[in-house]
Amino acid sequence: MKHRSPLITLAAVVLAFAIMFIVDILSGPPGSTSAETANPSAAPATAGATSTSPQPTETTVTSTSPSASNSAEDSKFPEKIVYAGQAEDGAGAIAVAVLGTQAAAYFCDGRSVESWFRGAVTSSDISLKSKDGATLQASLDGDHLKGTLRTKNDRVRFEINKAKKPAGLYRARGSKTTIGWIVLEDGSEVGVQTTGEESAPAPDLNPENPQVTVDGEELGAVPINGNADL
Amino acid sequence: MTSVPVPAPEASPAEPSGIKIGPVIIAFAIGTAVSIGIGVYGRLHPPSGHAVNIAGFSTGAAAKAFLASIVMALVIVQVVTAMGIYRRIPLRDAWVGTVHRWSGRLAVLISVPVAVHCLYALGFQTYDGRVIAHSLFGCFFYGAFVFKMLILTRDDSPGWALPLAGGLVLTGLTALWVTAVLWFLV
Repeated sequence: MKHRSPLITLAAVVLAFAIMFIVDILSGPPGSTSAETANPSAAPATAGATSTSPQPTETTVTSTSPSASNSAEDSKFPEKIVYAGQAEDGAGAIAVAVLGTQAAAYFCDGRSVESWFRGAVTSSDISLKSKDGATLQASLDGDHLKGTLRTKNDRVRFEINKAKKPAGLYRARGSKTTIGWIVLEDGSEVGVQTTGEESAPAPDLNPENPQVTVDGEELGAVPINGNADL
Repeated sequence: MTSVPVPAPEASPAEPSGIKIGPVIIAFAIGTAVSIGIGVYGRLHPPSGHAVNIAGFSTGAAAKAFLASIVMALVIVQVVTAMGIYRRIPLRDAWVGTVHRWSGRLAVLISVPVAVHCLYALGFQTYDGRVIAHSLFGCFFYGAFVFKMLILTRDDSPGWALPLAGGLVLTGLTALWVTAVLWFLV
């Protein structure tokens, strides 16, 4: 004799799996799904939120890098790490640099909005503030960083991964101009340059040779660590 | 008595009274294939680092720990009711089987969002012993579940097959809970 109800249960579970996968794929950061499914890489930390193009340089990353194991194993930040990725809903890019108990972060939309944040780190949480009163709260979730950025009238959520060089956070400062760049895992850059009250998209940055010229002034960009003085 | 054809090779160790081992072996093979398939998918696809969050929790990990603990509680219900069904404890009412079936269905359905988060956002990872064990048991659990569901479709399996399958499911889920939730909470 045969019973059908276990098969129905089995089918229901398969259906539930399919639904959850579809929900997760549809809710993923914009532009991430096609590249992720097309790129058969087994590395855990290379799937940046915006990997829209195949990685030219990072294909040999192993899954046993010590920093990855530290962050996920202890639920505690490594001594020195930078996270970078796209915020949800295409609001812009976020980079968070941690060094010891200090953290610095930068948010920008690549056009005209930017904010620098500074603050403290406690085991798996960070709480940062910008000069104009915006706040950034984030906590470690597995090996990625998850949090919320709040300004007076807006709220941006994000979930970003570890950034491997040359990905990360860069800044250049001249006599009148400050430029911030977030270099993402796929090599794309999001940056804003501000001169006085005027903000504009940042010029292209070559992380290998981080020199840019603004209004005839030659500026050198530097990677930003958690203890940077902003 | 009737014109029974020569038994197929896999059914040759058939025990008396129509007990068949072949379907058990086939069910076990399918369950094994499911486990391997999940493991291969988890290993090969790049983890997204992102999955939909379930409302009301501070982090995805907290939501997963909560759901997994509900599943663990239901699994304890499963063990108790299974012991009732097998007369190991004096629970003999008609509702015992119903409770066993529905607590099991609920448990496996609740486990799905947790497993999908693991698979889709994190993948099969090997960076320390706990993570290896958790990844392996995650694959093992759903294979064991498939094995058990397939065993349940037939009445002609040997008597040990269903308790074996149930025991595998129980072992898998308990190991998953210990290597994730207990670790998360401690």
